[in-house]
Amino acid sequence: MAVMVLYYVITALFTVILVRNFIKTRDVQKGILYLAVLMPFVLRLFRLK
Amino acid sequence: MYIHAGIVLGVIVLVFALARFLKLSTELAMLGAALAGLIVHGLVVPSRELVGAFAWFEVPRHIVDGAFTYFDVVLIFLTATLFMNLLKDAGGVAYIVRGIVRRFHRHRALALLFLTVVMLIPGALTGSGTVTVLVVGALVGTVLTYMGVSEVRVTAIVFMCAAMSAAAPPINLWAMMAAAGSNMPYVGFFLPLGVLSVLGALFSMFYLGWRGTPIDLEQIMTELPKPPRGMRWWKVVVPFVVLFGLIAAGRVWPWAMPVLGLPLMFMIAAAIVVLTNLGQLKLIKVISDTVEQLLPLVGVMVVVGILVQVMALSGARGLISLSIVTMPLVAIFATLFIILPVSEGLIQYAVAPLIGVPLILLFNMKGFNPIIALAGMAAMWPVGDMLPPTSVVGRATVMILGFKGRYYSGFAKTCLVPAAFVLLLGSLFVVFSSRLGFLVGG
Amino acid sequence: MRLNKEWTIKGIAMAVTGTILVLAGIAFAQHRNFKEEVVLGPGVTTVRTLGDYFAPLKGGPNDANVFILDSGEPGGTMLVLGASHPEEPATSLTAHLLVENATVEQGKLIVVIHSNPSASTVTRPGDAYPRFFHIETDWGIKKFRMGDRWANPLDSWPDPETYVHFPSGQLLAYMDVRNLNRTWPGRSNGSLAEQTCYAFMRLIEAEGVDIVIDLHEAELEYPIIGTIVAHQKALRIAAMASMTLTAEEFRIGMEISPLALHGLSHREIGDHSNAPALLAETPQPFLDRVRGITDESLLLTGKDEFVMKAGEFGLLYWPIDESGWPIDARVGRHCSTVLKIAEFWTLFNRSKPLVVTSVPRYADVVANGTGYFFQDPATASASKVVYE
Ligand SMILES: [Zn+2]
Repeated sequence: MAVMVLYYVITALFTVILVRNFIKTRDVQKGILYLAVLMPFVLRLFRLK
Repeated sequence: MYIHAGIVLGVIVLVFALARFLKLSTELAMLGAALAGLIVHGLVVPSRELVGAFAWFEVPRHIVDGAFTYFDVVLIFLTATLFMNLLKDAGGVAYIVRGIVRRFHRHRALALLFLTVVMLIPGALTGSGTVTVLVVGALVGTVLTYMGVSEVRVTAIVFMCAAMSAAAPPINLWAMMAAAGSNMPYVGFFLPLGVLSVLGALFSMFYLGWRGTPIDLEQIMTELPKPPRGMRWWKVVVPFVVLFGLIAAGRVWPWAMPVLGLPLMFMIAAAIVVLTNLGQLKLIKVISDTVEQLLPLVGVMVVVGILVQVMALSGARGLISLSIVTMPLVAIFATLFIILPVSEGLIQYAVAPLIGVPLILLFNMKGFNPIIALAGMAAMWPVGDMLPPTSVVGRATVMILGFKGRYYSGFAKTCLVPAAFVLLLGSLFVVFSSRLGFLVGG
Repeated sequence: MRLNKEWTIKGIAMAVTGTILVLAGIAFAQHRNFKEEVVLGPGVTTVRTLGDYFAPLKGGPNDANVFILDSGEPGGTMLVLGASHPEEPATSLTAHLLVENATVEQGKLIVVIHSNPSASTVTRPGDAYPRFFHIETDWGIKKFRMGDRWANPLDSWPDPETYVHFPSGQLLAYMDVRNLNRTWPGRSNGSLAEQTCYAFMRLIEAEGVDIVIDLHEAELEYPIIGTIVAHQKALRIAAMASMTLTAEEFRIGMEISPLALHGLSHREIGDHSNAPALLAETPQPFLDRVRGITDESLLLTGKDEFVMKAGEFGLLYWPIDESGWPIDARVGRHCSTVLKIAEFWTLFNRSKPLVVTSVPRYADVVANGTGYFFQDPATASASKVVYE
């Protein structure tokens, strides 16, 4: 159970960094790919999937 | 059904080609192809018994469901690379490389043997060639460079050994997934997989790495990056000891240890690096760089997942599976060395359930030894990790070593001989599986 | 200027991704929270949950309903497990049908509709399963969740890097730590699936279960199909059931549970309790890797051109033709198999009879359809409706 909470923390950490990198990147193609990668992270964080 | 699956498959290939032509990255081109395939499936799917028309509400759900296919693997990639990048930032990697060079500079064969073992361990324990590349690839690559091996050969060695580490027992994900899918216990694979992967790795290392210049210790020591002043041997050893200790403990006391999973183990090792080098690391920058560095790799895993979902939905996946298993047996044997790597390049680990299971059930039906045959195939798949569109391990290798040469005419071409060796060995295992049954005893 | 263009594209991409996430999120939540309505039949005497037998499961994702149909007369006790793998819907439908219809005249019947409920709340990534399937009844459409083979990662996360089976030490693929038919006999502080199996073993002890039937479906490419797999303690029953079923109703085989294959119900339940387990398999083309379009239609009709083509090449272990393997045939097979095993149990154990009636057999289900045997929850009294 405690381990599962840590996994949400890890997920949250990478979600934040992915969002940060998405905002900072000047490369639009990279930006779109960041968004695609973000999809599973966000839905897992919200415990929807 | 043939026509429908064919249309969707055609659209996928066409859109991918078009997008590449329009200078989109491989990942985005695949994403576009997958989405186009999904929409075309919805548009042209024939009316189905009991269900009727296609439910468009399911489209976003299918996209996200697909994006989740390799989520576990994505987390492992991110955490493993973060750990190694932190260690590198702290100067630990430079420290290890100097140590190895100093110890082994007189005995080339011994040095190559040692590097092979170092390369095999991470993948053998985790089942992932990418983890091998990310964890020890840069280190081994640097040592090899100082042993006078050319850049392109170093890259090829790191890739081939990483591929063989993924094949190495105890954890071979392809064999495990295919065994699970055909309800075989994952037992008796140790020896056949061990023989294949160790032979493959040693051949690659010695074939490509034997020729080189002897090491001039003095000169190299001045050229090698110096670790920061605060670096001590224990700061390098402790995170690795904890990491491998945690993995080993999970195997030795499986029911007493809480289940941590690889991502958390890498995060613990990373935390140790941070704590032992307090104040010296640019933490946020390292994490951010890690994510950026891995974006193509992680992106491709997500996008391939979506593609696999669309292909399963539309029957395109079934069409591919069907065309392979309905080939004559001789033709299958003769083309295994193409089919397996190419399919791995296309859809990664998903080949195990998709092609591995039908083939194993087919071989079993025809009286072959399924364990030896599967072991043979499971050593051939990882070679495909340098092939497009995914090229996951190949790209990781090129990325981590900063290889600037040409991907196909340089790196891939150099891999050709060792790759052919592994593919031939694997094919022989499959064809003569019934005579190699004695290996299963181990 | 350049910055504006960049952010325009990024903004559009964000809007598109956001929309996808919201719609997909709604779809996942609908699926995860959907409750199937079960109308308690005349035979049901008590409804317990797994948490009553192993407290840590209480109120959690796998606190499965346990339907007890007690005749009040002394006799044998049989446990029927539905949806060990929720991607095999004929199994939960059969269990559901037993709960709504069966009456027990001697002995005790215990039925679980979703043996690994967590696995029934998730769709399989990368496999394009439908979220729901629908069965037509006399009073309208009845809706069911389509699940996965493994427990939901939202309930069981993370997986180990490799799964070491307890107590054999056999190595299995990491995700099988969430596969209920790989975690028998379970352990009290293990993964969700291991704890669930542990709870079932306690149930088997507490209720004095004499025999267990674990219902499954399989792909036609898979050698263990259309058969009863039996623990060595139940060979006689399995052999007689398969022989008489084949003579009277439909072809069904019999196999002995392999000694070396660990974690499976037909091996471990019998090894670790007094109750031997039998596992029944029906053909489900939906699970075949060579299948064509993956949707509810394939799930319910079992008709598939690609699977048929594989059959023409001799690649299948079970026949298939244009009529496919409809859900009614599969549910009917499981109904008859359960009844036949109960009959032979009674024949071989005169002192512990188990007499189950009012359950349709194969021919009845095929003739009337599965839906015919479901009661309308709207007209049933509220106390008789249980949510799965
Ligand atoms: Zn099953």
